[in-house]
Amino acid sequence: MAADEEFKQEVLRLAGPEAQTCIQCGTCSASCPTAHLMKPSIRRLVKHCLEGEKEKALRNDTIWLCTSCQLCTVRCPRGIRPKAVVAALKELAEREKIKGKDQAYEELFQRQIKDYGRIAEIPLAGEFLLVFPQGALQSMELGLELAPKGKIKLAVEKIRGRDEVRRIMEELGKG
Amino acid sequence: MKLAYYPGCVSRSTGREMDVSTRIVCAALGIALQALEDWNCCGATHVPNELVSVGLAARNLAQTDLPIMTSCSICYSNLRSAALAMEDPQVRAKVNAVLTKKYSGAQIRHALDVILEVLEKNAELIAIPLKDLKVAPYYGCLLTRPKGGIDQPEFPTILEKLIKTLQAEPLDFRLKTFCCGGPIFMPQVQAAEDIAFLILKEAKKAGAEVIVTVCPLCHLMLDAKQKALEQRHGEKIGIPVLYVTQLVGIALGLEPDELGLEMNAVSPMPMVKKACERMAQEA
Repeated sequence: MAADEEFKQEVLRLAGPEAQTCIQCGTCSASCPTAHLMKPSIRRLVKHCLEGEKEKALRNDTIWLCTSCQLCTVRCPRGIRPKAVVAALKELAEREKIKGKDQAYEELFQRQIKDYGRIAEIPLAGEFLLVFPQGALQSMELGLELAPKGKIKLAVEKIRGRDEVRRIMEELGKG
Repeated sequence: MKLAYYPGCVSRSTGREMDVSTRIVCAALGIALQALEDWNCCGATHVPNELVSVGLAARNLAQTDLPIMTSCSICYSNLRSAALAMEDPQVRAKVNAVLTKKYSGAQIRHALDVILEVLEKNAELIAIPLKDLKVAPYYGCLLTRPKGGIDQPEFPTILEKLIKTLQAEPLDFRLKTFCCGGPIFMPQVQAAEDIAFLILKEAKKAGAEVIVTVCPLCHLMLDAKQKALEQRHGEKIGIPVLYVTQLVGIALGLEPDELGLEMNAVSPMPMVKKACERMAQEA
């Protein structure tokens, strides 16, 4: 398949033009706490983007294994922000309507911010597990640990400036 | 000293002890905290659109003229990233166009460096020196990232400095800036738990009597998940994990319930008792 130039340019626009200067040294992969689980590696993911390999860049677990810890980003000798490349791909995956558990979690998270202005952790986890129960056992264990300590709060807090927050997400999300 | 306090969303639920101990320790140190007006979520690590992320954080920054303090590394990193991004006039114009109160600059501080600054000048406030207590300084990822914040990202030492100020012993902790896995612990539970266990094992190997954290998500991963991880891996860890504000509070002689110590999953009480006994022996 031909390289998707439009895709490449959109990644560069979102993540910064410096990504073009990648020398494939692998410092990012060597720094990544989840590198051992990633296929493609973060280094190769950047390469896919620069080669316009849209499908390979968007349909993988790598972008969802990124913890956003930014170690790649503070270490890159070319001043590239691989974490921003991942963020760009997450956004493009959303535009392409690629669905999965990780996307669902981000969607729920952002919907809470939009609706309430804040995150209500327990309702967020509950809503996620209803749709994707794979991690229910681990979450239940955690709940049993937190409940007797008074750390399970079911109530949702809503801020007064919800309209403003919604405007931030909708207006700034366009560009 | 007067600061605006940004508690962050987890202060309401899973990170309550962080909030409780931050407030009481600041009060004990004469740091006046003013609640930040109608604050919103900083976006944490789940808003990939950078402009939206900057906008969310900037709305908080625009609520006050005071320096803003938070005790969460994720909030701290996001607020700082936004302030850095807002130095670009184009970004600032776009974001200010949608903000009700306009952003015109901000100073952002983490509780760690505020507390250290006050303690270094007022060492006499330490009522219980934590002599010989072996502490694993765990920075996690975002306290020092992006660059230019509280300390350098590669080999930070500010936490060791604070631990020494409390007269405890900071251990050489290899994984101190390795991410805890927390940001992906819901959708990618296995990957996140594997990293957390790696850090716990390393702390045990280093001989830690306590692990100190500066982020509520690190705390959740290492403390609240510790028992389940021990069972899954068939290996005992048994190391209490304290927020930096809880550790400081113990040294200031504050009561366990004032510091929310009963909210920790792995009880720090045996460690607190030991520290008090050591002090009594010396006296």
